[in-house]
Amino acid sequence: MLSTRLSNLVAGAALGALLAAAPTYAHHSFAAEFDASKPLSLRGVVTKVELINPHSWITVDVKDATGKTVSWMVEGGSPNVLFKSGVTKASVPIGSELVIDGYQARDGSNRMVGRNISFADGRPLFFAGSKPDAAPAQQ
Amino acid sequence: MHAARARTAARLWLAVAATFALGAGAAGAQPAPKAIVAKRTAAGKPDISGVWEALSAAYWNLEDHAATFGPVAALGAQGAVPPGIGVVKGQIPYLPAALAQRDENYKNRLAADPEVKCYLPGVPRATYMPQPFQILQTDTDIVIAYQYASGLRTIFMKEHSEAPVDSWMGWSNGRWEGDVLVVDVTGQIGQSWLDRAGNYATASLHVVERYIPQGPDHIWYEATLEDPAVFSRPWTISLPLYRHVEPNAQLLEFKCEEFAEEVLYGHLRKKGIPPPVH
Amino acid sequence: MDIFARKAFRRRCIEAPRGTHGACHGRPLARACAAAALLCLLAATGAAAAERAKLPRTSDGQPDLQGYWTNNTVVPLQRPAAYAGRAELSEDEARARVAKALEPTEAEAGTDADVHYQLTDYGLDITQRKLNIDRRTALITDPPDGRLPAPRPEAAAQAKERADFARAHAFDGPETRPLGERCLVWPHQGPPIMPTGYNSNLEIRQAPGFVVIITEMLPDPRVVPLDNRPHIPSGVKQWLGDSRGHWDGDTLVIETTNYSGRTQVPGTPQGLLLTPAARVVERIDRTGPDTLRYRFTVEDPNLWDRPWSAEYPLTRIDGMRFEYACQEGNYGMTNTLSGARVADRAAADKGAAR
Repeated sequence: MLSTRLSNLVAGAALGALLAAAPTYAHHSFAAEFDASKPLSLRGVVTKVELINPHSWITVDVKDATGKTVSWMVEGGSPNVLFKSGVTKASVPIGSELVIDGYQARDGSNRMVGRNISFADGRPLFFAGSKPDAAPAQQ
Repeated sequence: MHAARARTAARLWLAVAATFALGAGAAGAQPAPKAIVAKRTAAGKPDISGVWEALSAAYWNLEDHAATFGPVAALGAQGAVPPGIGVVKGQIPYLPAALAQRDENYKNRLAADPEVKCYLPGVPRATYMPQPFQILQTDTDIVIAYQYASGLRTIFMKEHSEAPVDSWMGWSNGRWEGDVLVVDVTGQIGQSWLDRAGNYATASLHVVERYIPQGPDHIWYEATLEDPAVFSRPWTISLPLYRHVEPNAQLLEFKCEEFAEEVLYGHLRKKGIPPPVH
Repeated sequence: MDIFARKAFRRRCIEAPRGTHGACHGRPLARACAAAALLCLLAATGAAAAERAKLPRTSDGQPDLQGYWTNNTVVPLQRPAAYAGRAELSEDEARARVAKALEPTEAEAGTDADVHYQLTDYGLDITQRKLNIDRRTALITDPPDGRLPAPRPEAAAQAKERADFARAHAFDGPETRPLGERCLVWPHQGPPIMPTGYNSNLEIRQAPGFVVIITEMLPDPRVVPLDNRPHIPSGVKQWLGDSRGHWDGDTLVIETTNYSGRTQVPGTPQGLLLTPAARVVERIDRTGPDTLRYRFTVEDPNLWDRPWSAEYPLTRIDGMRFEYACQEGNYGMTNTLSGARVADRAAADKGAAR
């Protein structure tokens, strides 16, 4: 009985998904922090990279419509899996140009959640739907 | 044979104690003592496992200092700073600009000390916090759990590598040099302080710790700090660590995050909602 | 022979002499039967000893549970109504369940669901990690219907009051935010430890006389003594309780008491906080070179009239646990409350304008 119940499997590759029936916990709603009605697209130059928890933050300098430079903070995910795949503090060099889509902070400050972030040359920031430790599904 | 060994150990301990008695006025002035090992692990290394704590005013100020006012007048004598002979010999060798920053830190210590916000203290501050920590020696590595803010470090003893990213408690590679545990700590995030007096270092801090067993219930602890961004040369702190000898000594919980909430977020509380009374 | 086969062999061997009909009756055959039973027992002991010898051990003889493990799963805590009466799915159904969980779902732009970073960009998505799959319909093993026992009426009423209050005052201040957002405890730390949305991993270390369990979120070290010392007095309550462990054969048994009354087991009704009378027993044993079995029983006479139990597998994963300094990086709390205050002012202005 035990051996049939506890068979282990490595998940096969697939595209991004949200957890379905598994026990989940929404530790905090991003919708409380950021505004779905304030979508943003930015192009900026990296000035600071914080690969921290609970969420990573990248600070970029963005030229606004008048040509003035404005600093924006972009929120991302926990970086702990990234480190396991060889990402280091050097992976997003200061001075890199990034293209960022997301939603602005509710309080109107220069903060946003980064829905999509990539380097200006099109390279994904870390992974883009690919698995850091791909392995074939096995019973 | 057993009695002879005990006599030798006693004589060695007396000699070490005498060395300390001569240098009593200037902690850190005497050379590091020789290891005195009471117990060994299955692998033959000194067994320094257990619950330990420093008994020192270093957590207030690493340097020589008289008793003085604390940062909160309303706490009166309860919040005042107890006196201490420095655990560093003389003054910390700051570069001029860094000394100015240290003095600025001191002026703003109530608002700026990361400890007030329940932030992890880093190394070596975690060692001389006024709360115990527990050393656990596994077959491969050494784990140190700290009561303050449920802090934790793994000292890698078998496989040494470099920190992929900076962290609050740093990256610790350790080895035994004879009977002394030597730990190389790098990769600290540089936002901790070294004490409550504003002494600090940056992310380029490199710490070498030495845990020197001194019989069953004492460890002599030294830490050499090197940070070219802040200090003109490396400098060393030294102090004893004492074993908690009460039966069943264990770490309790000091999850201080909520104690810091009023300080961190009080200004964002909804209008008309008072802070909770404790 | 793997651990399961050895266990089965031992059971059959010990049972056989007794189960033999007729052959062991009557004096002339008694000594022969006794000898056969003894041989079987010796063989069984030998098999058990071989089994114990194969199980890696620490230098102080503890079965070695050390490593970096994940409890990722698609099995819910409670059995869904669709599977009432069924403890297990068929292989096909189980595969289909996993496939469904791994299906991509795209949130509609401009909706709250879209206000999020891409999990896949950070390797946090369910499709990017090792998944423990078991065919069971629920993690709960007892009650046998796979559902939580009904809470006591007073406890349920109190839970509802707390949940209603939390909803009405959700953004008043830090005290009314969820514990995880406050960086106090991640509810899935427990004990009992429960699978969570991502970084659902834990590290186990062992030293002579101790087991140390560290969940990735949050990495509060649970230092569990194995020396039969008593619990700390009931006057000292703790978020993670107070744990005491011992080895029962090759199973690590950990008993935890001294709960603070401020936490609840994820998956139980919102607001149903464990009381200081709670007692949780965890059982961890090694089921293979890269797998552990984690079982737990929760008992709280103030909440339920009976204990309930659950179980799940853990699989070894590559890499290591990195620091999770939650308090230090908690921009989110500031941003969330700040946004709420802006919303308050906007609502007030609207009200004033009328």
